[in-house]
Amino acid sequence: MADSENMKHNDTLFDVEEMELAFGPQHPSTHGVLRLNLKVDGERIVDCYPIIGYLHRGTEKLFELHPFFQNVPHTDRMDYVAAATNNLAYVGAVEKLTGITVPPRAAYIRTLLCELQRISSHLLWLATHAIDIGAMTPFFYCFREREEVLDLFEEFCGARLTLNCMRPGGLPFDLPVGWTDRCSAFVDKFPSKVDEYEGLLTNNRIWKKRTVGIGVMTKEQGLQYGITGPMLRASGVDFDLRKAEPYEAYGEVDFDVPVFHNGDTYDRYLVRMEEMRQSARILRQCLDNLPDGEVMAKKPRVLKGAKETEAYYGIESPKGEIGFYIVGNGTPNPERCRVRPPSFYNLQIVPELAQGALLADLVAIVGTTDIVLGEVDR
Amino acid sequence: MSAVKNFLDRIMLLDLFAGLGITFRHIFKKKETVQYPEERLEPAHRFRGMFRLDEDRCIKCTLCARDCPIDIVYIDWHQELNPVTEKKEKLLDRFDIDVQRCMFCGLCEEACPTKPKSIWLTSKTYELSSYDRWENLYVDIDELQDWKIRPAYTDKEVV
Amino acid sequence: MNLLDSVRESVGPAIFDYAVSPLLKIMVLIFMGVLPLISYLVLAERKILGFMQVRLGPNRVGPWGVLQPIADIAKLLVKQDIIPSTAIRWAFILAPCMVVAPAFIIFAVIPFGPSAAQSGGQLDFFITDVNVALLFVVAMATVGVYGIILGGWASNSKFSLLGGLRAAAQMISYEIPQGFSLVIPLLMAGTMSMNGIVQAQFDQGRWFIFQGWGLGLVAFFIYFVAGVAESNRNPFDLPEAESELVAGFHTEYTGMRFALFFLGEYANMIVISAVAVTLFLGGWHQPFPNAGWASFLNLQWLPLVGPGLAGVLWFSAKLFAFLFVYIWFRGTFPRYRFDQLMDLGWKWLIPMVLLTVFGTGLWKILQ
Repeated sequence: MADSENMKHNDTLFDVEEMELAFGPQHPSTHGVLRLNLKVDGERIVDCYPIIGYLHRGTEKLFELHPFFQNVPHTDRMDYVAAATNNLAYVGAVEKLTGITVPPRAAYIRTLLCELQRISSHLLWLATHAIDIGAMTPFFYCFREREEVLDLFEEFCGARLTLNCMRPGGLPFDLPVGWTDRCSAFVDKFPSKVDEYEGLLTNNRIWKKRTVGIGVMTKEQGLQYGITGPMLRASGVDFDLRKAEPYEAYGEVDFDVPVFHNGDTYDRYLVRMEEMRQSARILRQCLDNLPDGEVMAKKPRVLKGAKETEAYYGIESPKGEIGFYIVGNGTPNPERCRVRPPSFYNLQIVPELAQGALLADLVAIVGTTDIVLGEVDR
Repeated sequence: MSAVKNFLDRIMLLDLFAGLGITFRHIFKKKETVQYPEERLEPAHRFRGMFRLDEDRCIKCTLCARDCPIDIVYIDWHQELNPVTEKKEKLLDRFDIDVQRCMFCGLCEEACPTKPKSIWLTSKTYELSSYDRWENLYVDIDELQDWKIRPAYTDKEVV
Repeated sequence: MNLLDSVRESVGPAIFDYAVSPLLKIMVLIFMGVLPLISYLVLAERKILGFMQVRLGPNRVGPWGVLQPIADIAKLLVKQDIIPSTAIRWAFILAPCMVVAPAFIIFAVIPFGPSAAQSGGQLDFFITDVNVALLFVVAMATVGVYGIILGGWASNSKFSLLGGLRAAAQMISYEIPQGFSLVIPLLMAGTMSMNGIVQAQFDQGRWFIFQGWGLGLVAFFIYFVAGVAESNRNPFDLPEAESELVAGFHTEYTGMRFALFFLGEYANMIVISAVAVTLFLGGWHQPFPNAGWASFLNLQWLPLVGPGLAGVLWFSAKLFAFLFVYIWFRGTFPRYRFDQLMDLGWKWLIPMVLLTVFGTGLWKILQ
């Protein structure tokens, strides 16, 4: 098989029999259809070779077949856990290409949606990570909160997961009556729920034994591989696109970016928990300062990207930096639309982190990378 | 001082007891189970469920077919002279939607120019399964107006 | 009890005392007591775990799901019984039995209530009273490991073998703290007989968990942790965790054979809890058995409850408390990794238990 040639061979004095295992593609902990070909020596992993592509749907080609605003539903389905940030990256790129400015109310509402989506994505991450490591109950507690977030999304745009909630130029409709009150009630009680999850896990000695010192990624490794997002911030690099290149309403709200220095699984857990709290803070500020106005910019009836123009728009999704690079060609369809998927880049580090780890640790490492296969494969 | 406290915490397993306390308290809290199918949760007002069509309001502009990202709306119309009003009007021959591929994105509803809309997804219908594969895959004009699970939900503007 | 007396006269007192009576007690205890208890323990676990996880457990089959175990057993009985063609047949068939049998055998020496002499009635509420009962318990617990190794090996599959060996290694490592921690009530009571230990707790006026300047508590704690590891329960359930690669020694088993493994695990849980109740929590005695003011706790003011049945009720109450704690642990804690598990057993529990035995010996001398 081609894969075997890519694996290192272990030449030692003894005839070490290494077992080749296929971890996935159907496996409860690989969060999608990821296949990892492992070479194990007893319990230690000697080599790890990921095979992706089981969820490839030709999304980037599909983008070229329809006008700009019709492609928004396709972007939902890439990182299906955090659809609003995908939508925002795409419509932001289209707006940059065609030179539309978004009215302030739309910018604030988009920020609201992105932060709600960040909370929902991190809750899902925590639920699945905890259950992989063996703690069963945080799964249910996180999903209870996630239900409320999804209900808020449902009231706004009609769907819970594949939102389709943004259009080039703003939003398709305004917030329904009473939405801000419900959102406000959720934001007020959310920090106490995060305290509950932390009470179950953060100081728990078994949790710490399973996550401290596992999958340590250094700063240099992270920067070399192009890792972004919470993984990088847990290794000591203070880089968050919301602060570095503020977009939408992030320049006007006040929040902190958590940075930790050990680069292990425990630190990534802490980063994401703190990010959830900071998201609640941003939500509170956005809700209090929501401007009035309209939600859709004045734009031409048929959006066309001029010939030979290009635009790249990157935002901070819950997984890392997601960016869209769109090339226009004078027709309503894009010429080429390339996605910079954060999970794809973050997945590169898994074979390195898995070297010498035990099988049980591999589950923790894949969980902490927070990959979504829809984004890796597109 | 904090080192002593840390040592005592580790010996007395306080972190484990904190976790045990949280799960114990949850035994007495309200449960989130919904006894489906006796109780059903009502979706939100704007929930994008199964679509419905109102043929009388439809002006046969085919904007919905044009805006569909996956091109699953098939419309055929022809013009005829209405003997009563002495005017030419459009009549629908065929309005089929291929439900196998529909992703319920709502772009067709957004495109519809009539007020109230002639095609809408806010029917709060999400129970779309059937025992026979061929029953619900390809929905034609009669079924669109007459979807059996829920009555026509909205004749008013969705706020 | 005229029927029993007449049977006794007709068969002969020796045969009755040594053959017929224990057989009757086994039938009543095991088939009408323990087996339903195990099946309803499965239901209780699912319901209690559900309640901790903000959901109801099974509640469709019968009110509050009480008929669920019957539905489960019916389903398991009619499932197709597959034996892999490359498996070793005799071992494959024998393995589940070897897991279940030792767990049930230990029930023979556990006292559920007072003897006929103590309660003034006609029934002994235990099957037999051996004067090396504690040794018997430890020995039988060790035999349980054979079934698991056999099950893993008999399936003739790489993963099953690895899972079986892992489980066996875990169980063997935790036998040592478990066995040693049982020495402490032995020292405190001075006898190996289970009835004798219960009687000693009554005589000394204090449950052994509070005895010995707190050493009883340490011993209890060590016994309980080792017991959780012995029965492969969370947080020590790596051998049977679903999110790991190795699916465990019972992968190849289907239908009723798998049910037997499952039953064996729960029976093990119950047995470990029963032994803990007997040795550390005063067995079937009420709390404060010697105090006059607590005499209302002997439950004999309830209708139909005599001293024997009161003992059984108290025993059951303590047993259920233990089982609740087992389920509580499962709902709360993450899982230990295998090497951390072995670390815990060898590097922490064994030194702790040796020190505790030493301390208890000192306490006994100073008495």
